[in-house]
Amino acid sequence: MWRIALRMLLGDRPKYLALVCGLGFAVLLISQQAAIFMGLLIRATGPLQNVAQPDLWVANKFVRYVSETRALSDEDLSRVRSTPGVLWAEPFFSSRVQCDLPSGNSRYIQLVGIDRTTMVGQPPVVTEGRLEDLRIEGAVLVEESARSKLENVRIGDTLKLNDRRAIVVGYCRAKPGFDSPAVVYTTYANCLRFVPLGRNAMTYVLVKVRPGADVRRVQEEIGRLPDVAAFTHAEMTDRTVRFILIETGIGINFGITVLLGLIVGLAVSGAIFYQFTMENSRNYAVLKAMGARRGALIGMVLLQAVWVGLIGYGVGVGCTALFTLQSRQPGMELAAYFPWQLLVGSLVGMILCISVGSLLSLRRVLRLEPAVVFK
Amino acid sequence: MSGAAEHAVRLRGVRKRFGRGNTEVRALRGVDLDLAAGQLVMLVGPSGCGKTTLVSVISGVLDADEGVAEVFGVDWGTLSAEQKTARRAELVGFVFQQFNLLAPLRAWENVAVPLVVRGTPLPRAKQAAVEALRRVGLADRAEALPAQLSGGMQQRVAIARALVGRPRLLVCDEPTANLDARTGQTVMDLIKEAASGRDEQGRRRCVIVVTHDNRTFHYADRIEEMEDGVLKQTPAEFILREATHAEPHAASAGGAGGVAGGPPRPGGAIDADF
Ligand SMILES: Nc1ncnc2c1ncn2[C@@H]1O[C@H](COP(=O)(O)OP(=O)(O)OP(=O)(O)O)[C@@H](O)[C@H]1O
Ligand SMILES: [Mg+2]
Repeated sequence: MWRIALRMLLGDRPKYLALVCGLGFAVLLISQQAAIFMGLLIRATGPLQNVAQPDLWVANKFVRYVSETRALSDEDLSRVRSTPGVLWAEPFFSSRVQCDLPSGNSRYIQLVGIDRTTMVGQPPVVTEGRLEDLRIEGAVLVEESARSKLENVRIGDTLKLNDRRAIVVGYCRAKPGFDSPAVVYTTYANCLRFVPLGRNAMTYVLVKVRPGADVRRVQEEIGRLPDVAAFTHAEMTDRTVRFILIETGIGINFGITVLLGLIVGLAVSGAIFYQFTMENSRNYAVLKAMGARRGALIGMVLLQAVWVGLIGYGVGVGCTALFTLQSRQPGMELAAYFPWQLLVGSLVGMILCISVGSLLSLRRVLRLEPAVVFK
Repeated sequence: MSGAAEHAVRLRGVRKRFGRGNTEVRALRGVDLDLAAGQLVMLVGPSGCGKTTLVSVISGVLDADEGVAEVFGVDWGTLSAEQKTARRAELVGFVFQQFNLLAPLRAWENVAVPLVVRGTPLPRAKQAAVEALRRVGLADRAEALPAQLSGGMQQRVAIARALVGRPRLLVCDEPTANLDARTGQTVMDLIKEAASGRDEQGRRRCVIVVTHDNRTFHYADRIEEMEDGVLKQTPAEFILREATHAEPHAASAGGAGGVAGGPPRPGGAIDADF
């Protein structure tokens, strides 16, 4: 019976291909859009992932996501430093700054400032040059993916950040933020030279809790200080993701695309599969007349549905995987992330797609009067 | 064999109508019929008189609205859909006007379908299918797809399929209508041969052939004529068969209502094993 079912399916080449393509396309749409979406979310939390050491991120209490700049003052820093349970607290700067290139061209960069002595918040990897050279006055490290954006500046080249001279001392690798700006690292001390904000120029105070101290307690203590709040890494990630999801409208947009994919998949594959069954209804009637049992017929329809479903799923997920790999190539602006949860999610989408078609088909086949064989 | 075992088909007051109200068609309007095993019975009559409906009821693919339809002691009306399906699989073989082969399946696969449906393992089903194809003279076309066969060959494949499970009842609805005279004759020869076949327990078979084709009438052991949903009391025509089959059947001459229990004919050239 299985054999008959598959022969029926594969015997009708055009419909078979249409089914596989329809399902594949739906799965592709669903999984690829979801992958981009997750990629964007992950990218948005990039600046958080770059910094591993601190237990708490202290920021203005109204901060909505990690790349938002709401300045803290030196007083805030010293108040945090004197909070019980704090092992160390260092300033961390992050802001949009105008940068003039050697050619005379100019663009905006994301300037990240770390503490000059402890280097807390340093870039994860230094690819060329030395981290220590950042201590030189006006020194900056350029993030690898920013090379081309900054017209391939070389070590020793001079940039102008807000009209103040900066010298490139090396390259590093770090995750850019949501809108993937060109990231440039320097020390907090240098930042104060480049960015004329007086002493109120800190974006975060990065805090390490004393060994044995309770992070929650310290967090609460800092929360009692005026204007600031302390967030754990997870809380900050959460805030960022929620901001992107809700306040940027990106969540809704991608949600709609994924839903569209699902609807297209449901409609197209459902309709084609049902039509395929309709065209085979004489065959089913013949089988019925010859004594094929209910269970066997149900099995045949489901086997066909699962068959095209799995192949369509393979095609769709395969395309998304290729796309994801492509987006990993250096210099690609595409963000895609393809975790196993997404595989499961698109599998569920695929199952939804084929179940509509197969339920309709089953209804048709089971209600079929075997007497039509004589017609 | 007891008399009851010889009783192949028994219909009593069978009625069937299609549609409702203005569009109502009374396709069967009280049919009584008794057929004995070992016979080839032809059902003739004008188009639309209910022949197909009648054989559908007899073969258990269509439920009668009223009356009793029994085949070899199985009363279709008392069975559930699943039970009917199971009994059909073992009792009835079908040959259709438009062959109804499954296009994507090879000839032997088509022939094996009734066995596969009953759960016979594929290697055994294949063996039986190839053997059945040999009997209809298509041993060399076992691997062909239906589209690669002529109409006559397709109908022969269909006959092999109908007989591979050795059913006790063979129902053929206009088996020669889509074929030219010569191929039609080959097909009728095979059907005639089947009428003297037996099932696995050696019990005789009953063959019902619906036809319009008066060139095939001489194959009949008995002819029943239908008109407007009922069987005519006295068959209008009775065509004598060729000399070899000339012995008259008393019961056939008696018309509907009597059990037509002709004596089993000698096998002769006919393969009684099919
Ligand atoms: N499924 C159906 N729905 C409605 N009417 C039907 C159906 N099947 C048969 N009929 C009607 O019942 C009557 C008998 O039909 P049937 O097919 O039994 O005739 P027939 O003797 O086989 O005719 P033919 O020689 O043309 O095949 C016809 O009037 C036909 O229109
Ligand atoms: Mg008919």
